[in-house]
Amino acid sequence: MAYLFQPDYVRYVCSCGSLKPISKMYFCRHCLKIRCGYCVCHEADSHYCPNCMENLPSAEVRLKKNKCSNCFDCPCCFQTLCTRAGQAPLRPPASSADAKQDVKATPKKVYYLSCSLCRWTSRDAGIPDQYVATGGWPEQENPNSTRISTLIDFHKVLASKEKQEQQRKKFPTKRTFLQYEKFGLTSAMVRKRAGKPLEPKSLIQHSDQPAPAVANEEVDDLPAGIFTEAVDITKITTLEQRLQHPDVQAEKINELRPQHKQFLVKRSQRCRGCEHNVSKPEYSPQSIKFKIQLAAFYHVPEIRIVTCEPLRVGVASELLLKICNPTQHQTQISLLPLDTPTTPTTVTASGEEQELKRENIQMGSESPNLLPLAVRQISVTEDPKPITVVSGAEIALPECPLFLPPRDDAAEYDETNDASHFQDDKKVVVWRKGNKIVVRLHVTPFANEQNKGEPVIVGFVLRHGYVNTLATLEHKAPQKSELNVQLFLTLGNLVGTA
Amino acid sequence: MEPQDIYYDKNEYVETASGNKVSRQTVLCGSQNIVLHGKVIVQSDAIIRGDLANVRTGRYCIISKNVVIRPPFKKFSKGVAFFPLQMGDHVFVGERAVVNAAVVGSYVYIGKNAVIGRRCILKDCCYIEDGAVVPPETVVPSFTRFSGSPATCTEDLPECTQDLMMDFTKNYYQHFLPAKM
Repeated sequence: MAYLFQPDYVRYVCSCGSLKPISKMYFCRHCLKIRCGYCVCHEADSHYCPNCMENLPSAEVRLKKNKCSNCFDCPCCFQTLCTRAGQAPLRPPASSADAKQDVKATPKKVYYLSCSLCRWTSRDAGIPDQYVATGGWPEQENPNSTRISTLIDFHKVLASKEKQEQQRKKFPTKRTFLQYEKFGLTSAMVRKRAGKPLEPKSLIQHSDQPAPAVANEEVDDLPAGIFTEAVDITKITTLEQRLQHPDVQAEKINELRPQHKQFLVKRSQRCRGCEHNVSKPEYSPQSIKFKIQLAAFYHVPEIRIVTCEPLRVGVASELLLKICNPTQHQTQISLLPLDTPTTPTTVTASGEEQELKRENIQMGSESPNLLPLAVRQISVTEDPKPITVVSGAEIALPECPLFLPPRDDAAEYDETNDASHFQDDKKVVVWRKGNKIVVRLHVTPFANEQNKGEPVIVGFVLRHGYVNTLATLEHKAPQKSELNVQLFLTLGNLVGTA
Repeated sequence: MEPQDIYYDKNEYVETASGNKVSRQTVLCGSQNIVLHGKVIVQSDAIIRGDLANVRTGRYCIISKNVVIRPPFKKFSKGVAFFPLQMGDHVFVGERAVVNAAVVGSYVYIGKNAVIGRRCILKDCCYIEDGAVVPPETVVPSFTRFSGSPATCTEDLPECTQDLMMDFTKNYYQHFLPAKM
């Protein structure tokens, strides 16, 4: 939780080279690599209105221009408008006979939109009140809508033509050769061979191309009183208000109209290396559950700083770290110097340690992406960025491995302390409860002229055992492997020199 | 960073059988209408207006000092009516915050000095930053962080927010200890 409101003291190195707190990372259990928001593919799963929580299929969303048809934003302060009920103003009776009837009839309810923050109402804008609570509000017409629709139509035609041409290229027919043998080269074929488009086709294109936009030098003259009349700022819209609705850009406050609320999206994340999902939320916008949740927080041991003694150059300070095992398996942890290679290793059947490569990772299934090739994004993989963090202290790391029992949600209610199961070095392991331990380390900052005034950062490699449970689905023994992840801890500023 | 221990005066706090820790220096109006579902901490000078309508909280809610929790009202043609205020599990309300919401979901963080306007709906897993003013009748969707005045969505929350928040409130409860005499 501290991750939500504190600066990132403990940062893990992603396989793309960026430094992030563990809460913002994913762990792809197919490639056994840490991924972050920068090195996964983001896909929009479902669209929903943040106000009424209605979710729509993406085709309908496109039709509605990513906006909710029922909910409106205030054009003045951009907050959500609420529908308010009021009484219809009584019309003066036309004749005495009508007046009698009017008394009997209940006053009709009318509805108007009002902003609870800035008190703007649809009555201010002169929009007539509605007799139904939802919908029926007049839509604001875009002045250029006809032009836009002709342009869109034209580009649709172009796109379909291009698609047809591509499909034709895909299946080259032998017939052209036969024709060539029979009748010799036709002019059309010569053109095709030279890579030019066919002549008659380009003519057709010209005919349905919309008229190009015309630049006009003649601009309406400024109103006569522009330099003499006092400006009333309260009646003129601000830049934000205009940019919120770019197709109309009303100049005066009373021309502002309520705006449909923008949809939000639920996103799923996909690993770029193996195209498996690392995070997939449930479809419903109300739900906070996930169908696939491979956040690093649930797979990689979490490290927190408990306390750190004031840092002085050349003096060893005590650093207490809390390590937590979030997995369902007992794990072995060792802390290694920063220059340790971070390639994962596994122990083979014969007992040898070998480097874990893509071939010998037990994979669940081979084609995780269900989308057809033509639709899905082609993932772009980049080389990892170099890490620019400079370590400002020497850290003494424990040589013995640390054992962490599996996570047990019931352990919280268990009062007995089972620390005795593990033979810990009391100098290193200070405290142990459930799947958490606190270890004592010592850091010695060294004098660094470059980073004066900057907080001291110390780095090391966390090696942790990981049990790949994917294999158990295929009735094989789960594969155990050792994964390494680089970590950087920001410990704080130097207090003074000793 | 690991949270530090917070010590309280044993005489000031009342601890119930379900683990609620409620300060004596609070204003709990209409206490028969206030339901604290266990392991809830209500700190000194907090005001809970149970006299207006029912107030229900879930488990592991932390109501800090000087917080005002007040059920919202709605205006009708014939006067006003107050609506009950529901709060989910694992909710943190920071110091001097004013909560006038209709529903506060689970795993919600409300920062210090925040104002939650009348009849707001805070969905599960959302974060209201310190000093944010959420206008009346706003819906705060899940996995969003709201900040500023008027509060707007500024960021998305990580996917593991639920566990982060659970961890935070449980840790807070465990580190909220009676001072040793």
